[in-house]
Amino acid sequence: MADHPDPVEAGRALDDIDLRRRQIVAEIDVPAWYWWGLALGWVGLGLLSAFTNAWVVLVATVGFGAAHSAIATRVIDGRHRSRQLSVRAEVVNPHVSALVIGFLVVLIGVTIGIALVADGLGAPQPGLIASVLVGIAVLIGGPRLMAFVRHRAERSEPR
Amino acid sequence: MTSEAAPAPEARFDELIHPSTRLSIVALLASADWIDFAFVRDRLELSDSALSKQFATLEDAGYIAIERPVSNRRRRVRVRLTESGRAAFEGHVAALRAVVASAETANVKL
Repeated sequence: MADHPDPVEAGRALDDIDLRRRQIVAEIDVPAWYWWGLALGWVGLGLLSAFTNAWVVLVATVGFGAAHSAIATRVIDGRHRSRQLSVRAEVVNPHVSALVIGFLVVLIGVTIGIALVADGLGAPQPGLIASVLVGIAVLIGGPRLMAFVRHRAERSEPR
Repeated sequence: MTSEAAPAPEARFDELIHPSTRLSIVALLASADWIDFAFVRDRLELSDSALSKQFATLEDAGYIAIERPVSNRRRRVRVRLTESGRAAFEGHVAALRAVVASAETANVKL
């Protein structure tokens, strides 16, 4: 039977184990197409609000919400960014999905707020202005949110 | 609702896992449900044949399971850690930590 490693060797082995864990943590994300789809959908709803009637906007909003629900349940847990691996649930914060949904709820409020302010200022197409600004916020804020999740996962002890 | 902490794994040095390449492979697999062959190969910068050889050793020991699903008409190779592989890895990590901890304790006493 081989001797156990000395402390230096054991320390190096633990460092390598930590490196490999961080390589998996680096894969925690949602697919890039998710943020793009969300942003484009948001702008699309803004366009509809600007150029069609309220019923069309309502039907489109419900359709968009339903499509998002069907897709999001499979990707917003942050464990399936690519087809190359599935990150173990214990490695990812169990509240990632709630964080993403919370982010979207805040953005809905921000959209309404911007639209009301723009309308109050007499801007043309306030709904479209709000949706474009929030669409940009989705593209910038979404990846930053997931970077925060990765950062937290890196710092946490393996569960 | 109450939650209980999982019991600490029993420290057990595992000679099969300890060589650096196999330790790296198992450490990657420990944080994933499954991983594609290419991902492991690229992260460890190994050739296909070298990685296949290591996988065969780990599979023979019952530490990993290799699956070959067909996706988009392409056969993929997915690897996952088995329960016994995970237990061996956790025991090995506990053994490594014990070695480091005992050395630190000895240094404090000096």
